[in-house]
Parts: sequence; C-alpha cells; structure tokens
Amino acid sequence: MKRRSLMKAAALSAVMGLTAGAALAQEEAEKKVIGVSIPSATHGFMGGLNWHAQDTIERMGKVYPNLEFVLATAGDSAKQVSDIEDMMATRNIDGLVVLPFESEPLTAPVAAVKEAGKFVTVVDRGLSQEGIEDLYVAGDNTAFGRVAGQYFRDNLEPGSKIVVLRGIPTTLDNERVEAFQAALEGSEIEILDMEHGNWNRDDAFTVMQDFLSKYPEINAVWAADDDMAIGVLEAIAAAGREEEMWVIGGAGMKEIVKRIMDGDPQLPVNVTYPPALISAAIEMTALNFVSNAPMTGRFIIGSQLITPENAEQFHFPDSPY
Amino acid sequence: MTILALQDVSKSFGPIEVLHDVDLALEPGEVHALIGENGAGKSTIMKILGGFLDPTKGQVLLDGRQVIFGSGPEAEAAGVVVIHQEFNLASDLSVAANLFLGREIGGWRLDHAAMRKQTSELLERLHSPIAPETLIRDLSVPDRQMVEIGKALSRNARVLIMDEPSAVLTHREVGTLYEQIDRLRVEGVAILYCSHRLDEVAHLADRITVLRDGSVVRRAMRGELDEDSMAAAMVGRELQDFYPPKGQPSPEPALEVSGLSVPGRVRDVGFTLRKGEVLGIAGLVGSGRTELAEGLVGLRAASGEIRVNGQPVAISSLRDAFDAGLAYLTEDRKEAGLLLNKGLRENLTLATLERFGKFRLDTVAEDAALDKATGDFDIRAPRRDMVAGKLSGGNQQKLLLAKTMLPDPQIIIIDEPTRGIDVGTKSQIYAFIRNLSAEGRSVIVISSEMTEVIGLADRVLVMREGRLAGQVEGNAMTEDNIVRLAMGVAGEAA
Amino acid sequence: MSKPDLHTLGPLVALVALIVLGALLNPAFLAPGNITNVLARSAFIGMIAVGMTFVITAGGLDLSVGSMAAFLAGIAIIAMNAALPGMGENWGTILVGMGVAVLGGLVAGYLNGALITKARIEPFIVTLGTMGIFRSLVTWLADGGTLSLDYGLRTLYRPVYYGGIGWITWPIITFAIVAFAGEWIMRHSRFGRHVEAIGSNDRVARYSAIDVNRIRLMTYMLLGLLVGLATVLYVPRLGSASGSTGVLWELEAIAAVIIGGTALKGGTGRVWGTVVGVLILSLIDNILNLADLVSPYLNGAIQGVIIVLAVVLQREKRIAEER
Repeated sequence: MKRRSLMKAAALSAVMGLTAGAALAQEEAEKKVIGVSIPSATHGFMGGLNWHAQDTIERMGKVYPNLEFVLATAGDSAKQVSDIEDMMATRNIDGLVVLPFESEPLTAPVAAVKEAGKFVTVVDRGLSQEGIEDLYVAGDNTAFGRVAGQYFRDNLEPGSKIVVLRGIPTTLDNERVEAFQAALEGSEIEILDMEHGNWNRDDAFTVMQDFLSKYPEINAVWAADDDMAIGVLEAIAAAGREEEMWVIGGAGMKEIVKRIMDGDPQLPVNVTYPPALISAAIEMTALNFVSNAPMTGRFIIGSQLITPENAEQFHFPDSPY
Repeated sequence: MTILALQDVSKSFGPIEVLHDVDLALEPGEVHALIGENGAGKSTIMKILGGFLDPTKGQVLLDGRQVIFGSGPEAEAAGVVVIHQEFNLASDLSVAANLFLGREIGGWRLDHAAMRKQTSELLERLHSPIAPETLIRDLSVPDRQMVEIGKALSRNARVLIMDEPSAVLTHREVGTLYEQIDRLRVEGVAILYCSHRLDEVAHLADRITVLRDGSVVRRAMRGELDEDSMAAAMVGRELQDFYPPKGQPSPEPALEVSGLSVPGRVRDVGFTLRKGEVLGIAGLVGSGRTELAEGLVGLRAASGEIRVNGQPVAISSLRDAFDAGLAYLTEDRKEAGLLLNKGLRENLTLATLERFGKFRLDTVAEDAALDKATGDFDIRAPRRDMVAGKLSGGNQQKLLLAKTMLPDPQIIIIDEPTRGIDVGTKSQIYAFIRNLSAEGRSVIVISSEMTEVIGLADRVLVMREGRLAGQVEGNAMTEDNIVRLAMGVAGEAA
Repeated sequence: MSKPDLHTLGPLVALVALIVLGALLNPAFLAPGNITNVLARSAFIGMIAVGMTFVITAGGLDLSVGSMAAFLAGIAIIAMNAALPGMGENWGTILVGMGVAVLGGLVAGYLNGALITKARIEPFIVTLGTMGIFRSLVTWLADGGTLSLDYGLRTLYRPVYYGGIGWITWPIITFAIVAFAGEWIMRHSRFGRHVEAIGSNDRVARYSAIDVNRIRLMTYMLLGLLVGLATVLYVPRLGSASGSTGVLWELEAIAAVIIGGTALKGGTGRVWGTVVGVLILSLIDNILNLADLVSPYLNGAIQGVIIVLAVVLQREKRIAEER
C-alpha cells in the first residue's frame, strides 16, 4: 500500500516534468477556464491549503496564458454548491477542481458538472458515488493514522500510556483514528482516553489540561494535527510536565517542522498530510488542457514521517501554515 | 327573555371572597351598564361572563340553562364576546384577515376575495367605511375598536361585553360609538357596558347595576339615577365637593410661551401661565395638546421662545426642563410613565437618581422618599416591595404623580390626570392638583374629559389642528363653548 | 422577599450539584490544579459575559464579541511584534500590546454602539455584520494562517496567564475583580439602574430624563473594554491568534447570561447569575472530559439540555409568580 502510493507520487512528478515542453505547443490555443472550489481558511491546515491554491493559480496563470482560473472559497456546503453553480452559469468553466466541504451534499452538483461534459478533479475528500471524477488526488488518511501509530509502537516501552486528541467528528477523522488504533493493536501500549479537540488550539488546550488533571502518568500524546499540538504543548508546559511525555502532531505546520529540524525532544517527529496536495491537483488539471497526456485516475499522496534528518525538505517558510 | 345571567354568584381567590352573591341579567336589545370603583369586582364579573373564570359559588345561565364555559373561545362559540380594553387584533394583518382569523374562508388556498367582500359588507352595516385590506396598525384607535365590534358581530355575538370602550376615544369618536351601540341594541344584542364615565352611562344605559366591594348595592332603570347619585352609590357617600374650590392665581407670570412649534404637530402657540394657576388645555385627540406639552419639556424637537419667571430658557431635553423647574406627567402611564415590572422605589426615584448618591445609590434615602411619597399622595400599596404593575390604576397614577413631583418643579404639566381611574381616586387627585396651585406652583392640565377641565381649571385653552383655537374663562367655561372652539364651529374666541 | 427566591437560587443549586457530581466521579476534580484550570479558562468568557449582561439588560445584544476577541488578539500581536525592534524585549512592548487590545475593544464597542443608537439599526443585524467583519479581518491579517507572538516576548508575557498569587492565577483574579465591580455597578450605581430601566421600557426611561442612547452606547463600550481585557489575558496563553480564535464565544457568553437569570428581552440584570452561568458551562465540559460519562459526540447535547433546563426552571417560577 505504502509502496504503491510512493510509486504514484513518483509518476506524478514525472508527469510534471513534461509540463514545460507541453506549454510551448499550446501558445495560441483558445482560452480555457478552470474553476477551483475549496473550503475557506477556517483553521491552520485550510489556511495553508488556501495559500497553496492561490500560489499555484498565480504560477499556472503565468506559465499558461491561455488558462484562466476562477477561485471560490466556501464556509459551508451550501455556499460551495452555489459557488459551483455560479461557475457553470456565469463563468462557463471547462474544468473544475473541487475539494468537497462534505461528500454527500456535493456529490449531485459535481455529477451535474461532469454530465455537462466538463473535466472534474476531486481533491482529498471523495464523493459519495464512485466514478464521477476524471481525476482524484488525495492524501492518505489511513496512512496518516498508521504512520503515527507505528511510530508510537516502535518508540514506546510496552505498558506505556498515551492520550489522543481527535479532530472535528468526520469520516476523515474516523479513518485516521481507526488506522492509528489498528497500528497499535497487539502492542502493550494503552490508549487512556480520546476526546475531540476540533483541530483548534484553544479546544486542544482545554482538553489536554483536563487529561493532565485526570491522568497522573502520560507517556505520549497523539495530537493528530499541528494546531492541536501547539495547544497541547502549552497545556503540558503550564502543568510543568514537559519531561514526562512527547507529542506527535500532523500535517507539517512550518513552526512544528522547524522545531523538529532543531531537534526538540518534545516533538520527535511529524506525519505529513501536506496542504500542497491542492497544488498537485490544480497542476494536473491544467496539464489536461494544455498537453495531450490524459490526466485521469486516482493519485494518493502518501503520508510520510518527518524526522529531524529530512525535515528541511518539508519546511515552507513562506506558507502561512 | 334573558340571554345570559349570573345567579347568586360568588368568587373567591384563595381565602378572599371578592364577589358576594351577585345577580345580574342581560336582556336582548338592552344596554346594561355595570359601574363601580376600581376593585369593586367589575372585571371579575366580566371574566366570569366571558368564560375566563369559573364562579366559586352560584351559576351562569345561558337561555335559562346552566352553562360552564371552559374558556373564552368556548363562550365566544356560544355567542358571548368580550371586547377588552387592550384590543385583540394582529396589527400586521389586514382588517379582513383579522375578522376571519382562525376561521378563514377557503381550503388550502385562501379565498381572499370572499373574505374582503364579507368584510366590507359587515363594516358597511356598522357604517364604518374602512377598506378591508387596510392593515390594523394603520388604523386609528376608534377604527380598531370598530373592527373589534365587527369581529364580534361576524361571530354572531348575542351578548357583547364592553370594557371601558370610550376610554380611548375622542369626543367625536364617542358619538360614533354610541350610534353603533344603538344599532346593535336595535338588532337585539344584549350589551354589558362597563365605564367610569357616568355621563355616558346616564346617556346610554337602559339598566344600571352599581357594584361596591363585590356586592350589588343598587339597581336602577334608565332615568332613575343622575350622575351624582350614581357616584354616591359607588363610593357609598355623597361627593358634594367632587371638584375642589378654585383658587386665586397671582397676576405674576410663571411661564410665558410664544411662537412654539413642533414640526408637523403644533404651529405657533403662545400663552402665559400665572403663578398659582391651574390652566386647562382642551381639544380633540390629535389636536396637538400632548405634542405641545412634549415640545415644551424637550421630549420633542420644538422651536419657539420660553420664559420661566421672566427669564428666557433653552430646553432641548427633559433634563433641561427639570433644571428650569418644569415637569411633565405623561398621559401614557403604562408605556411611558412607570416601569410596571419594577418596584415602587425604583419607579419613584428613576428620574431623579442623581439626588440619591453620587456613586453608590443611597437606598435608605430612597426608602425614606418612598415613605414620604406614600404618605403625601396616599399611595395604597399592600406591600412595599411589590412591582408597580400590580398597583391599581389609581395608585399607579398617584405614584406617577409622586415621581413627577420629586424634582420639586414649580410648573407641572399633567396630561390626562385621571384616565382609567375610579371616582374616589379622581377627587383625591383633583385635590392634590388644587393643592399644588395653592402652594404657589402652576399647573397645566390637559384632558379629554370636558367636565374635568371645566371643574378643575381656572382658565381653559382650546387647541384645534395644532393651533390655539381660543381660550375660555370664568362663566364662559362651558362645554358648549369649548366644543365649538375645538371643532372649529363659529363661536366666541378670546 | 423573605422567602428564598428560586429564580436566583436555581443556577446556584445547579452549580453546587455539578461540583458534587464532579467530585464523586473523579477525585482529581477537586485538586487545586484542576480548579485553577477551570476558573482560569472561564475567565475570558466570564469577563465578556459580565459585559454582555449589561448589554442584554439594556435590551441589546452583541454577537460580535468572539470575532472581536480574535481580531483584538491579532492586532495586539501585530503591534507587539512591530514594536519589538524599536522598543526591545521588555514590558514596555507588552504594555503597547495590552493598550492596543483594550483601546481597540473600546473603539470596536463604540462602533457597534454608534451603529445601533445613532444609525438606529437592530443590534442583531449590526453585530452580525461586525462579527463577520472582525472574523474576516483577523483571517486576512493572518493570511489564512496563524499570527504568532515573537518567542522572546511570549516568554516574558506568559506569566500573565500562568502566573499569579499562589494557586490563584491572574485571569482568576481579574475575573473576580470584574465580577465584583460588575455586580456593584448593576446593583448600586445610577448607571446600573438606568440600564435596567432602559431594558425594562426605554420609553419610560426617556420620559424620566434618561439619555437612553448614551447609556446604550456605554453598555457596548463597556463590553468592548472587557473583551479587550479578556484578550490581554488570552494572548499569553497560546501566544497566537487565528481565524479560529474565539469561535462561538458570543453564544457561550449569551448562554451564560441567560442561565444566570438575566432576561433575554432585557430589564433585569444579574451579574452574579452570569458568573454562575459561566462556571456551569465550564464545569460541564471539564466533568465530561474527566469522567467518560457519555460519548464525546454528545457533549454538546448535555450542554444544550442544561441550558434549556436552567431557563425552564426560571420560567416555572415566573408563571407561579403571575398566578
């Protein structure tokens, strides 16, 4: 599984290598419009994703003057559906890149776009009906949980106790946590407790404070997200129990990656779930219009372990995340 | 043939019996007036007849048979309709929608045309040319009352119970109301009419029942009782000195007003108020009386020159008016005068809190002020810590008067001093007002009750359509003269 | 008057019941550390809710406080980071940040109040608007990410949240002072009496020579000031602000005010009740975290049930009074 995703990622970079050549051939072609619809920047990870989306669109617009991009961000599913309908009705898009806010409500509207003969790329969260999209680009939630779980398994003594902070209750969160639990199965590591920190610093801080009151001994924390990791670290510091436990976040926030680079003992590693995956999706959709290579299929970008040794290559100082 | 009757009805709330063995019979085609002081039991009787209360003892008879109305709507279904003082209309709906509220014509789709047609037929019968699609909130108060009456008739009312219907109406509008009542009488409707206005009782009622302290003390047919004997029966004693004797105003002016205008309401009014004088202001509702007063004390934007004791003063807020020695008692006691859900103390001192402590409010001093006020103004409150809304109307008015007098004003403007108040309290308030003038203060009394203005004031100004129509004084202070001025019918003006 | 008033006692009884329940479920509940945690985290919402009590009592409403807190935290952080090169890593720089938060709060409150009293727009609409504006502004300032305070400044500033006198940390002390002052103002000052009068019937207030608009405006400014103060204590906790800071604080503050017995339609303000309401809300969260009573998915439902119950208890009392 891990091997296959790595191979896909390799194939992806190979395709991108073709980009420059294809661009020359398409100079005076007709204008194509690509709509990009993503959730708005309500928390750190989405903030990073928004930044990468804007960054990529700017870059693509320069490289391919005949491509035009329409970006819309939505705070909820209903707004996202309206955004997509507007793109169809008023901007006459030829392709759509969509990161569905929720799977169920977006399935029918995106299917309608597909039926109108447009090219559809779905990012990260799959639609509830298979076979609609031409291209699927996603992070690997199962791997995200599994990689973290394996690290806990390999680096904790048997009999160790850990606590887990979960995200906002969603399928995505369930997949991660189930994979994490599966990876720990059979080990002597005990999960003391799990609570929802909602991918929010303040909520994670509160939950961690209560965990610290409740459990006199905690050896490690899986915070599952770097925003939550920051709140957790602060709560641990306030209780003066920094020496007792380490914390694994997730998604590769630049501040956290920096601390891993610097060898912070409290933050040994991190698991990627890069917000940059939206860039790959936009780039591949663009290629579909400017090259003759068919850009269809499923591309799963695996989650990797960031260690002090390789942290440098995951550090994007310009990104807000 | 009696339609609705009470037989030996008593009603107790807890251990206290408020009605004692009351008999009352309503006949078709007859106006039956029910009079009595506040607290005499009128509203309890109305509630029992209207199905809102059950009698503790005795029975309600409908067409000679005992009935127990479980609720107001049940009584309505039997043809007994109560028109409350506070109208029961949805103000954002049209007249037609209100008339058919809860029994609309049409199935899933409303038949608006039919409802409009029936509404205009009904209103025509009442000689009220109101367009059925007008919204209630765009109607005048008497028109709303007409809609209420129409609503009652459209439900085939056989008994109509009216609670103080004329309290909200002007002189002319009362005339229309009387016509409607006459029409309903001819149609055979039985009407129970509750009112504080004895003149209209004498005019309207075919039969009068006088209540005192929960018992019927007098029954009479039309013409058997004049106003004085009605009042005497209600209070249980003779009211020879209903209005206090008039005073001797000094020639010195206390307040001089010239060229006062309130945009859209009052134009170019000028007058002089003398020290120790009670000056009446009469006129129809809408003639600008209240607006003139509110413009004077800074509650409305106004222009013009005001002098107090010869000195010009600029008044742009009620605070300025207080500083100049003016105070205003509003006609709208419940909505602008008192905080009904707050205690007596909070109400008394609300306008003058700065006198009770710079930073920390001195509740001891406030309590002392309340003690003094309850004594001075004879405020009868069962408990000191009760909320103002639980006081009777008369005691609320006395509390409001005490609140108005707390800044120690030299010039007091009192708008409708006795609206909705029983006879006994009325005469008390008249005495207070006269007392103020005897102390050398000056009082302006605005009133819709002609007899009140005449009985109380030393001089009467009459307003019409925002202007001063004239003034009457001494022997010329007659209802006839005032009405002529108020209506713009040719007559003598000063 | 002499008989105990269920209206005011109801929330207090609920609070005591929650404390007993918490202590029974987990002995760690009464540990000084946990008590400090709960009180300190109640402090932000608590101070905001005290201000909200005045606004609601005067017949108003402010939905913008959560976003306003996020925005104030954002500009305070930006101000401190900007002042750092010139002023250095010292308390002066932090005072600049505090000043920006508190003054910003006053200005934001003035903005809300002026739109409501001068432009005569419904408070719900005005503050719904400013809620969106503040939230967007902070997201924009943070470029969709997080605004972080310089590390050195954070270390210096940190004790303002975590330090204090023994177990009693500064947020708790500040909250207590705000609560006492709020109670005193509501009960014993002219301003408090005027606020209640306006909420009870603003026409009566106007006819009693009270400057209704001025008092209303002042309630919004007081609330803004307290949001600023809450921000001053919030920033050192995590040293950061983002688009997700203070989400739903407005509803928690309003819920605390209502649980405490203040009528949503105005007229009666109970600052003590509000403090109890805030503590109840924090305790529910704390106990649910400590005790594994129900699925964490149901935490929101438990809170909802308690809010509705608290209000139902008061309603019962009111109906009984009216009979």
